[in-house]
Amino acid sequence: MLKFISMKLGLAVLVALTVSFISFILLYMAGDPAVSIAGEGATAEVIAAVREQYGFNRPLLAQYFEWLMRALSGDFGMSYYFKTPVSDMVAARLPVTMTIGALGMGFALVLAIPMGVLAAAFPNSWLDRLALGIAVVGQAIPSFWFGLILIVIFSVNLGLVPASGTRHWTGYILPMIVLGYYATPAIMRLTRAGMLDVLSADYIRTARAKGLNWRSILFKHALRNAIIPVVSLAAVQLGFMFGGSVVVETIFALHGAGFLAWESISRNDLPTMQALILIFSMFYIGFTLLADILNAWLDPRLRSG
Amino acid sequence: MSNIPMTEAATITAPPSPARLLTRKALRHRGFLFGLVVVGFITLVAVFAPFLAPHDPYKQDLLARMARPVFLGGDWKHILGTDALGRDYLSRMLYGARVSLMIGFVAAMISAVIGTTLGILGGYFGGKVDAAVMFIVSVRLALPATLVALAVVALFGGSLTVVVLVLGFLLWDRFAVVMRSATMQVRQMDYIAAAEVLGASLPRILWKDVLPNVMNALIVIITLEMAHAIILEAALSFLGLGVQPPTPSWGLMISEGKEMLLFESWLITIPGIALFILLLAINVLGDGIRDITAPEGRN
Amino acid sequence: MRLINAVAAVLLPVCLFSSTALAGKADDTLNIAFSKELEHVDPYYNTAREGILLGGSVWDALLYRDPKTGDYVGNLATGWTWIDDTTLELTLRQGVTFHNGEPFDADDVVFTLNYVVDPKNGTKSQANTNWIKSAEKVDAFKVRIHTNGPFPAALEYLAGPIIIQPNEYYTKVGQQGVALKPIGTGPYRMDSVEPGKHFVLKRNDAYFAAAKPKAAIGTVDIRTVPDANTQMAELFNGDIDLVWGVPADQADKMAKMGKFQVINAPTMRVGYLSLDAAGRSGAENPMTDLKVRQAVNHAINRQGIVDALMKGTSAVINSACSPVQFGCEQAATTYAYDPEKAKALLAEAGYPQGFAMDFYAYRDRPLAEAMIGMLAEVGITAKLNYMQYSALREKRIKEGTPISFMTWGSNSIADVSAITSAFFRMGGEDDARDPDVAALLEKGDSSVALDERKTAYTKALTTIADKAYWVPLWIYSSNYVMGADVSFTPTPDELIRFYDISWK
Repeated sequence: MLKFISMKLGLAVLVALTVSFISFILLYMAGDPAVSIAGEGATAEVIAAVREQYGFNRPLLAQYFEWLMRALSGDFGMSYYFKTPVSDMVAARLPVTMTIGALGMGFALVLAIPMGVLAAAFPNSWLDRLALGIAVVGQAIPSFWFGLILIVIFSVNLGLVPASGTRHWTGYILPMIVLGYYATPAIMRLTRAGMLDVLSADYIRTARAKGLNWRSILFKHALRNAIIPVVSLAAVQLGFMFGGSVVVETIFALHGAGFLAWESISRNDLPTMQALILIFSMFYIGFTLLADILNAWLDPRLRSG
Repeated sequence: MSNIPMTEAATITAPPSPARLLTRKALRHRGFLFGLVVVGFITLVAVFAPFLAPHDPYKQDLLARMARPVFLGGDWKHILGTDALGRDYLSRMLYGARVSLMIGFVAAMISAVIGTTLGILGGYFGGKVDAAVMFIVSVRLALPATLVALAVVALFGGSLTVVVLVLGFLLWDRFAVVMRSATMQVRQMDYIAAAEVLGASLPRILWKDVLPNVMNALIVIITLEMAHAIILEAALSFLGLGVQPPTPSWGLMISEGKEMLLFESWLITIPGIALFILLLAINVLGDGIRDITAPEGRN
Repeated sequence: MRLINAVAAVLLPVCLFSSTALAGKADDTLNIAFSKELEHVDPYYNTAREGILLGGSVWDALLYRDPKTGDYVGNLATGWTWIDDTTLELTLRQGVTFHNGEPFDADDVVFTLNYVVDPKNGTKSQANTNWIKSAEKVDAFKVRIHTNGPFPAALEYLAGPIIIQPNEYYTKVGQQGVALKPIGTGPYRMDSVEPGKHFVLKRNDAYFAAAKPKAAIGTVDIRTVPDANTQMAELFNGDIDLVWGVPADQADKMAKMGKFQVINAPTMRVGYLSLDAAGRSGAENPMTDLKVRQAVNHAINRQGIVDALMKGTSAVINSACSPVQFGCEQAATTYAYDPEKAKALLAEAGYPQGFAMDFYAYRDRPLAEAMIGMLAEVGITAKLNYMQYSALREKRIKEGTPISFMTWGSNSIADVSAITSAFFRMGGEDDARDPDVAALLEKGDSSVALDERKTAYTKALTTIADKAYWVPLWIYSSNYVMGADVSFTPTPDELIRFYDISWK
């Protein structure tokens, strides 16, 4: 197990390094940061001085390693736009993103797992069709449009929840639904498929034949086995969700990291963009690693592979 | 952005069934039929948009702004009304279908080429090649697609070409994963070993023997990734960093209509529903193809 | 029938159930939304309108211009005299304290002015302060300001954006500290700051209230809500009490609902197309050709856009300035909407088939698209590049753009020097780079005699119109939409004086 974990960990670190290099290069191409820092009306000498001072004239790799070293110690430099440390800003905004991510995932699990189980328990029944319907609609509905429609109905017409912001807890409801619904189809399909597999296994049939309570078979015995891949899928989806929160945060004016990322992109705020792309990647890598380890722990057969 | 390669990969195997059996299964599959009809219809509409559109989709008429559609009391001159600049909404919807389908199709094709190549290479050779492929896939998955797409479009400017290329280069991961496991299964079949023994060249084996066997899986993923690309394009355009105006894109139309969200929300409802129906149809079609081509006994 | 109603609700929301009574009157809190993430609360470190609003609430300037009479009155200064063409002496008010208790005196003025003109400190408001050479302390309540050459518009700036910071506090915490906890003398003190996101102002009960009154409302709660629709949705819900800059279409609809007060007021903000006559974005740029620039002028149906899209008190302008500003003569050369003439001019210039080029904009996308449609009619295929203001400004300064749709509110300064001189005196955003115009403007900016100034400005504006460096478009009007219990009278300078707002 230890060997498995250290191998996975090493791979994750390697992926993380590659991602950090890509995000650095990608934004390095955006143009000369010295001009942005020097500000409007700066003369060529001032720009040259800034370039010297910040070390923009050194080789790319040297700059990358310095950026990486500082990033590792939590220093992502100063935001070009806000003139405050990027790490402070990101730290202030991440909780919002993490909250809606966690809520969204909670919503998805609460909706998807029971529906998936029931769909598998009664295949081809109306429940199964309903579950399929929810999944198919969830895959096809554009989240930004869905969000707008929900605002029109629940916020403007019914006045039930605020249209934006998180001053009140009800402000989290619509973002949670929009973000959660997005992850629901995959989880529901996987739960259903897993349950179908498990339910056809011999020991379940035996248990049924013995007259054990159907509900306890379903939720206690079968689900326990079917849930393993679902857990790992959920972890991966959570990583995706953080990256996908850009759209939701923009619609609901939630000042989270996704919104900051979008704003920074349109403001050419390179240090902030670099930091956010890297951090969102790290979340994904972290969750995937967690899922791998969890899987291996629950299902020892996977450890060798 | 569902990422369920494990289950998908498992469903594709076995040589294709005889054509007649397939047709019979297809005709009984309601989802497949629905998807086929709707996607076919929208494709026809997109292709013949110049003939079907009642007006020039770019022609502004500032004196006839936000005319309501017929079903909300408008007149028949503009069946779906006009937008905030007085452009005919129906004509823009028809041309918008072109943009969506074109972006979806080309982006899916680009990712299919990249992903399939990587996947087949990894799956066929295994070992170090496979490890390298899986590593590239992990890196790609770790990059937040929406953010990277936004950043790239912001850097290089929004145009149809940039958007298509960005999406094409971002959405190949599922192709790689599924093609890899499909190839691994094919690899173990006797006729591949036979071909190797007979001294067939490697490209020939990959092209003639491996590819046809993973074709079903490929088609399924192409449809799903097409939907994925269309939804991402719409999201990018919605955020103002996708296709640029005045090009009619359904995502952009939602973004523009958002201005009047509280008063004339049909402006976002019409392109929203169109987008939803197209995505629904493509997804259902993809699911249908998977069901039909799956070997008997599996669902 | 019920189904039809449900469908109609999504297609045409009519706000059947929304409530407005939740507004802030009950807890004496005025809820307001900023559209823009303010990069820094220190007015010298941002160029945003929102920054000016905070500047006037939390800080004080030396003078104050009464918006009703247009006269200058003493604020932190009580008297001022020009000692010579380039030296202004001011007597300061005694007994004023900053929010943190630090007493106000000449050191604060001298520190602030010398700080903002020092390029090392990287303040962003150079356009407002670059006329100042230095400040000098005479005694504890007397200072002298030395200007870079004669600058008659000085008082206008001293009454507007130039606010005074506390020297001891500022030196201690630096601009980064000020970003989180600004201290001023103004009618409101900053209670909390979440940078770019949320600001809470509390009434300064000890305010000296010489030129500006004490604040009427106890708390002003400002959140950043970038999307105009979300702002309005919150207005419906009663989560916001006052919204400004509401697009005309929405304002019309809001007015018809009868639940809100909708006021349309003119502003000083001018919209214009800046054409790259100097060829900075590429020497072969068609915009370097006078005929092409004239064609662009003739191609835009400004009146049509004003009537259909802007409405209210918006109006077409013909000079590169706002008509209410001193020295803003409406030019003799005007370009009527005439697409045929535009096509002819393009053909004469060697573009009978038109050409394609990039069109940049940062706000009012529908207006930009309308203009792009009009350019297309005469054969110019303009590709829209929609960017954030800071990014576009940076690009314009760095490399120029062929056509940019820009707007400028002159920082509410009613003098041509705040706009024409800001853009035609070889500065970063000067797309014309015409030395004659620059010289004329310099003369106007530095003359003391009013008629001399006026003559110079008129000549400059005439040249700008003749050479078609800009397409002067329109002055904006602003729509203010507020809850029924808010009492507020907009002023033409578009400054929302939070301390003047009260409850009905």
